[in-house]
Amino acid sequence: MSGLMLIAILLVIMIITSVLALFLKDLLAAIILFSVFSYFAVLIYLALGSPDVAFTEAVIGVISTTYFITTLRKLKRGSS
Amino acid sequence: MSRILASVAIVLMCLLLFSTTNGLPVLFDANSPASTHVTPRYIEKSHEETGSPNFVTAVLADYRGYDTLGETTVIFTAGLATAALLMASKKKSNRMKGGKDK
Amino acid sequence: MKKVYGSIILDTAFRYLIPFILLYGVYVLLHGEYSPGGGFQAGAILGIAFVLDGLVQGKKAILRITGETAVIIAGIGTFLYCFVGILSMLSGGNFLEYSLLPIPMNDVEKHVWGILGIETGVCICVMFTIIAIFYALVGKEE
Repeated sequence: MSGLMLIAILLVIMIITSVLALFLKDLLAAIILFSVFSYFAVLIYLALGSPDVAFTEAVIGVISTTYFITTLRKLKRGSS
Repeated sequence: MSRILASVAIVLMCLLLFSTTNGLPVLFDANSPASTHVTPRYIEKSHEETGSPNFVTAVLADYRGYDTLGETTVIFTAGLATAALLMASKKKSNRMKGGKDK
Repeated sequence: MKKVYGSIILDTAFRYLIPFILLYGVYVLLHGEYSPGGGFQAGAILGIAFVLDGLVQGKKAILRITGETAVIIAGIGTFLYCFVGILSMLSGGNFLEYSLLPIPMNDVEKHVWGILGIETGVCICVMFTIIAIFYALVGKEE
């Protein structure tokens, strides 16, 4: 079944991305990995056959990345 | 010590979730109970009852309009709580500086 | 954020982008019955346009309000949703029963107008929630 195989591959990449985002010292790189995680969630929703949810998740991914970078700029902390 | 406890809790939760997803129907199955009793009524009758060709919007806004009201209330409450939390910390720091209040 | 960013690329590019974002947001709201879309997506897209304006222009943004005012308007959007339901209850029916709305159309078109009223309420609520969180975050500079 190529449908289930595609979802399994995307899920494995999503897990690797999210675990990698925990162990980085640079905060800006961690924010970008959050954005990549949201993008893979969009692909999984499309593979499961629902374009409405995928559209919403794409827009919300942009908004949450904007909030994170605004907060980072206000605190003036680039790495931890 | 607390890390070991947290890891054990995560492993137990994973085992619990993996064992209960065996009871769900297979993905894209045509014989599951949701596809044989509920879905044909929505697909056949949604265009003549609600007048919209997109049956995702028809289910979300007409057949299940009350659930969408609950979801909108949750979004509004989350925004209200976040805005109140962010504005309260700013007011406190302005008050401690001393000087003229409005 | 007290001054404009001072970069020619941002100052020029956002003037070309914002009309298209606003137009696409209103398109997604009004075509919610024909293509994937509806209230939540349209509200988020319109909110992004105002956040972009607030990021690039700073004090001279076109919608410069505090977080408290934005939350009040988001509450008005949720009330608009309930108002459509109450309007059908005043004509002697259940809550959110579109067949008894007091507008002069036939039965199927009353459902269409009911769905459009609901999606407009949701769009206003989501748009002003996003604007409220942004202006509470950026807010008063010290």
